[in-house]
Amino acid sequence: MALKGKENKPGWIASINPWVLRIVNNPERLAFVLHRITGVLMALIIMAHIYVTGIPAHTGWEAWIEEIQNAHGITPVTLYFFFFAGIAWFHGLNGIRLLLVEFLGLCIGEPEKPKPPYIAPSLKGCQRKLLYLVFALWAILWILTGYILFVA
Amino acid sequence: MSFDPKAATKIPPKKVTFRIKRFNPEEDREWWEDYEVETYRGMTVLDALLKIKEEIDHTIVMRYSCRMGVCGSCGMTINGMPRLACQTQVAEVASDGKPVVTVEPLKNHPVMRDLLTDFTKFFDKHRRVKPYLLRKDVDERETGDYEYEMLPEEHYNIYEYTLCIACGLCYSACPVVASTDRFLGPQALAYVWRYVADPRDEAWKERLEMIDTDEGPFSCHYAASCSAVCPKMVDPGAAIQRLRSALIKYRLGLYKKKRISKKVGPMEEKKPRKDLPPEAKPVDGVDPWAKDQEPVKIPVEKLI
Repeated sequence: MALKGKENKPGWIASINPWVLRIVNNPERLAFVLHRITGVLMALIIMAHIYVTGIPAHTGWEAWIEEIQNAHGITPVTLYFFFFAGIAWFHGLNGIRLLLVEFLGLCIGEPEKPKPPYIAPSLKGCQRKLLYLVFALWAILWILTGYILFVA
Repeated sequence: MSFDPKAATKIPPKKVTFRIKRFNPEEDREWWEDYEVETYRGMTVLDALLKIKEEIDHTIVMRYSCRMGVCGSCGMTINGMPRLACQTQVAEVASDGKPVVTVEPLKNHPVMRDLLTDFTKFFDKHRRVKPYLLRKDVDERETGDYEYEMLPEEHYNIYEYTLCIACGLCYSACPVVASTDRFLGPQALAYVWRYVADPRDEAWKERLEMIDTDEGPFSCHYAASCSAVCPKMVDPGAAIQRLRSALIKYRLGLYKKKRISKKVGPMEEKKPRKDLPPEAKPVDGVDPWAKDQEPVKIPVEKLI
């Protein structure tokens, strides 16, 4: 009787768990994981946003507008905006990188002969710089958003 | 996979614990087992596993063959990263601070026993993409009387993809394959691009239309783990992006293969073999094929 092998698939949830596979020199995987998480969070936030913006239709717009306009300092509203901005900035910036790389085939380097230290062309050239630029811009824009919300 | 040139000069810890994930299909039981191995400089993980099998526990099951990174049989998840056991030095993955190496079977491949994985699905997908040259004229392909011209730069474009040894590491690292069985996987799609870009292949339209489904490059999310773990620097991640971009252009009517190479030939006919020169002929009385033959004394004048 032939023995049946055990399925060894980590699945969707485990595939975004950084402890299931620890691959070195692969920040693209981190970007993939963050892109998925921010995508799911944005979908949830948009649904909540539709619900919350529907509330003043029943309770009156004046109090609502006043609360939004006076949202300064650390309040639940500014904290919500701050986290939403972080999620949206990353998803948007990384989305632009993915559009360039995936749909236009840009920044993935040219085929080359293997030579030490054997790093694939798409992992070391323009694409990698673009990824680091995304992380840097994300940090700068998120800090700037926090400054505008909490300080300015 | 990036190569650490300093690893060869490192000395591994004297004793390293190998934590091996084991699986018994008869009992459907899975467990971790620890083995302590005395190491030496230059020892690979495969050497250590074979030492365990020879000296400590003969029941460990694994697959290996060439021991030099050519056959692609000994893919395993070593310290959480898919690697070839024969190319991974113990000094690379174990340190004096943490002299422990975990060895698991490759993810995304069904486990048959211990470290042995089943590659049936993987090779089924490989076969589905028709990994060979296709020409409209079947005869010219089958008879072998002709060859197809190819410029050096055209060969250079596909060279890195021809290095694939089908070890399954990219398939194991892919998060999309981990989620769905339908995705063809990085290895098969890299082969598709290798033939779409090859000027000797005439079936580029059929190949592009074949993969224009949810099995194809549109399911890839570019985590680039396939390129990061590839031991031969094949870069399947880039191949999938090139394929996707070509597919979009093809659907917009903007993609056309640059050139289809012409056949050259027929090749020179085989001429009858020339007679050997007199000095190369065997000495009388010596049969080179005879096994138990008495040594023949050859006169010196015959040798000079």
